[in-house]
Amino acid sequence: MGLLDKLTVWLGLKKKEVNVLCLGLDNSGKTTIINQLKPSNQSLFGPLSDDWKHISQTQTQDIVPTIGFNIEKFKSSSLSFTVFDMSGQSRYRNLWEHYYKESHAIIFVIDSGDKLRMVVAKEELDTLLNHQDIRSRRMPVLFFANKSDLRESMSSVKVSQLLCLENIKDKPWHICSSDAVKGDGLQEGVDWLQGTILCVCVCVRTSPQGHLIFGLAVKLTVEVSI
Amino acid sequence: MIKKFDKKDEESGSGSNPFQHLEKSAVLQEARIFNETPINPRRCLHILTKIIYLLNQGEHFGTTEATEAFFAMTRLFQSNDQTLRRMCYLTIKEMANISEDVIIVTSSLTKDMTGKEDVYRGPAIRALCRITDTTMLQAIERYMKQAIVDKVPSVSSSALVSSLHMVRMSYDVVKRWVNEAQEAASSDNIMVQYHALGLLYHLRKNDRLAVSKMLNKFTKSGLKSPFAYCMLIRIASKLLEETEGGHDSPLFDFIESCLRNKHEMVVYEAASAIVHMPNCTARELAPAVSVLQLFCSSPKAALRYAAVRTLNKVAMKHPSAVTACNLDLENLITDSNRSIATLAITTLLKTGSESSVDRLMKQISSFVSEISDEFKVVVVQAISALCQKYPRKHSVMMNFLSNMLRDDVSCGGFEYKRAIVDCIISIIEENPDSKETGLAHLCEFIEDCEHTVLATKILHLLGKEGPRTPSPSKYIRFIFNRVVLESEAVRAAAVSALAKFGAQNDDLLPSVLVLMQRCMMDSDDEVRDRATFYMNVLQQKQKALNAAYVFNGLSVSVPGLEKSLHQYTLEPTEKPFDMKSVPLANTPITEQKTEFAPVATSKLPEKPGPTRQDIYQEQLAGIPEFQGLGPLFKSSEAVQLTEAETEYVVRCVKHTFARHMVFQFDCTNTLNDQLLQKVMVQMEPSEAYDVLHYVPAANLPYSQPGSCYSLVSLPEDDPTAVSCTFSCTLKYLVKDCDPNTGEPDDDGYDDEYVLEDLEVTVADHIQKVLKPNFAAAWDEVGDDFEKEETFALASVRTLEEAVGNIISFLGMQPCERSDKVPENKNSHILFLAGVFRGGHDVLVRSRLALADGVTMQVTVRSSDKTVVDIILASVG
Repeated sequence: MGLLDKLTVWLGLKKKEVNVLCLGLDNSGKTTIINQLKPSNQSLFGPLSDDWKHISQTQTQDIVPTIGFNIEKFKSSSLSFTVFDMSGQSRYRNLWEHYYKESHAIIFVIDSGDKLRMVVAKEELDTLLNHQDIRSRRMPVLFFANKSDLRESMSSVKVSQLLCLENIKDKPWHICSSDAVKGDGLQEGVDWLQGTILCVCVCVRTSPQGHLIFGLAVKLTVEVSI
Repeated sequence: MIKKFDKKDEESGSGSNPFQHLEKSAVLQEARIFNETPINPRRCLHILTKIIYLLNQGEHFGTTEATEAFFAMTRLFQSNDQTLRRMCYLTIKEMANISEDVIIVTSSLTKDMTGKEDVYRGPAIRALCRITDTTMLQAIERYMKQAIVDKVPSVSSSALVSSLHMVRMSYDVVKRWVNEAQEAASSDNIMVQYHALGLLYHLRKNDRLAVSKMLNKFTKSGLKSPFAYCMLIRIASKLLEETEGGHDSPLFDFIESCLRNKHEMVVYEAASAIVHMPNCTARELAPAVSVLQLFCSSPKAALRYAAVRTLNKVAMKHPSAVTACNLDLENLITDSNRSIATLAITTLLKTGSESSVDRLMKQISSFVSEISDEFKVVVVQAISALCQKYPRKHSVMMNFLSNMLRDDVSCGGFEYKRAIVDCIISIIEENPDSKETGLAHLCEFIEDCEHTVLATKILHLLGKEGPRTPSPSKYIRFIFNRVVLESEAVRAAAVSALAKFGAQNDDLLPSVLVLMQRCMMDSDDEVRDRATFYMNVLQQKQKALNAAYVFNGLSVSVPGLEKSLHQYTLEPTEKPFDMKSVPLANTPITEQKTEFAPVATSKLPEKPGPTRQDIYQEQLAGIPEFQGLGPLFKSSEAVQLTEAETEYVVRCVKHTFARHMVFQFDCTNTLNDQLLQKVMVQMEPSEAYDVLHYVPAANLPYSQPGSCYSLVSLPEDDPTAVSCTFSCTLKYLVKDCDPNTGEPDDDGYDDEYVLEDLEVTVADHIQKVLKPNFAAAWDEVGDDFEKEETFALASVRTLEEAVGNIISFLGMQPCERSDKVPENKNSHILFLAGVFRGGHDVLVRSRLALADGVTMQVTVRSSDKTVVDIILASVG
């Protein structure tokens, strides 16, 4: 990993693009999280370049319920993320599956203050993980136990118990509690995601069968051979 | 990829459409590259183009494949390529109705429409409004309101136009945007102002008061946009027409003031509006015409064309007003633009005097071969109008028309040929002097005519008119040539025409029979059948047979006959098929052609579909109470039983059956806060008619017409009681309801509403039947039951009035064009034909004489005695 990290930093200008799906029930805070992750008007990583201009990169003030989906982009230190921020309302959840195939990682957001609908969240999660496009892939899943600022909110441990996350054996996953309004805990999650995505690629590259499991790996290996 | 494509295209050697041989499945396969990261905008763009091309070619996309392609396309939103994004908008709009779950892009579009990139905002709004349904509209309402008043013109215009489209879908929501639209209407941008005005008008168009208020406001404040002005003029003239407002109203003043606007567009619109207004006086027309006159000398061809075209239309209504422009029009005859020249000439033909006709005709013939078919038709129409105006000039016109027919044997389309033939036929019918020349020209034309429809039409006319000319034998050669040379349909028509000559002219009969024998060896079934049939009829040499089977064909409705025969074959009986059980055809109402538009009627597409009566028959057959009434004999025109603008509008259609009548009441509820239930019309007859049954309309919501029915039996014992008056009352259960949602209250109350009386007259018992040869039919019925009586019509002053009254009173079909009274004559004979309820033929000959009121001698013949009595009794 160290090598690859250095390599990408050395390549510097061009960051690898990954597609991430942002899922979860309605009112769990998906759009708010993505909005927080976007650069504020002045980017951390220097001023916005030209090709970022069109898609509204900067944070917006008012968050409204998403209908359908939004596409957002943000960058971490070594990756550039394209996030499909899906609508969580029940009538649109069946549309998620259209985007499973081409994504490289999943961010699953849970409202940790909403005990009542935790079962619903679990059900949606199980359906998601058993979907044919997801089941066989080693795809990193990042959980945000959001709204940690609420007084009645549960800890991330409690949430992971309720969702039986320990049963996920074949995918790297991580849960962290977050407060999307203030931005607490988000960076931790994104750092894990970036690390895992890069790691998965390395694993694939060094796997004995030499099979390239998904597109990202293809690109990275090409990149490395350069 | 694109390069490769181009190369392939070059190889195929044609610079033509590169998308010509697209395969849907291949394109959809290619669409998978949308899923790749990173996106290649150029390739994606090309594939989207292909998809849209296929959609526009009418290629059918299944829901699954369309949805799959659509969702793949949604991924392209991550690209920042401007062209690609706008192509996505187009694709969304195209696929909005064929793909599922298109609302998935709602948020993405909302983001684009509120974003910073102006290029995206307008198209995003338009795409968003295509995918939005009523339930989702609330969610985007806020954005729409903002967009309407946006300071970027394209955004504002897009929002306004999209709102206009959505008015149809959810009027109530869009209505809440009126204030924003109002603000947009004061915009400085000409398009925004125009679109805002359009939206405002469509939101209010059902409310006349609001429209006139709006007009008032804008006419006072004035507008910047010439488009908006044109729109205002149209709204104003529509309102004027609806309110039948006098020409002293402020609206008319406004339109007239627009004649002095600085934009030509507005000036023309105003002039055209004034010209098209009904009952406009010459004084009011004058300024409009003078404006058009100015345009005639404009350097812009479009303006000249518009002016001369409008003048051409005015010339039909007010020839005198256009006379002032004659000089300008004369100049336009030599215009380099042939369309303008043609219109100028035809206008002059309409306005010019008899003396100038020859000169103008010469002028036209000099370039008639250079103009397009469409304008040739216009010329022919003008000539046709001219013939009616100056019957004495018919020889010049006829020569000209036949030259046109002859010169363009090879070129010239069907429409054009048909216009000429129709024109010649109408001249022949209007003007007996021209009959022989006209028929001769037509004979010559069919010698070399490639249009089957025209050939059969002319042959039919020859069969009808030819035998009555002084020398019928000369037409036989032309007709028989057709039997030898033409296609099946024409041969069959020729045989029928021949038979008519044989039936009418005894001295020609032997030769016709010989020709028939020759036709019986034809290779086509239909031709042989006809020949054999006519041969046998003619050999009998009986007038009655000739009349029934040669001159006057079947008068039943063809779909009705088909249905009856089908019914007959389903239930095998010993009884022979009864022709009288077949509903009669509604004779197409041969209107008295208006003076200046004789060929216009022929331009209507001929509809072979079911007639109005067949539709009624179908509807009534669906109601169980009306089973077993037999075939529908006649349906009357709808009678209004209420004033036009009352709470409830009721119209009645009288359906006559053999022994019953069914009254169909079409009711409309115009109160939006009421729901009517169990609606029926109670009828109180004045005579021995029995009301057997009422079929109520279960529900009558606001503005949705519903029908209720009453079944009445006709008095059996007194067949002469054909007229009756019914007093009618509308009875119903009222439930108040919310005007917005239409949700009714639970309980209602009974109420009633008095309607006007309904009359049943003798005309309701008689169906019109056209007998092409009245004399033959007259002989066929015979004088077994003939009665004659003389009446004095004291209140009638002219023969035309008397003829009109008799026709409308008896409801019978005038034959032999006897409904037209020649001018300056003191006597006239009117021939009427019809079928009485029960299937008895009725013929009426009525001799009219004018002297201090009109004296009328009526002779009635029928196959049944009672019918004769009924008719005479009702006349007296």
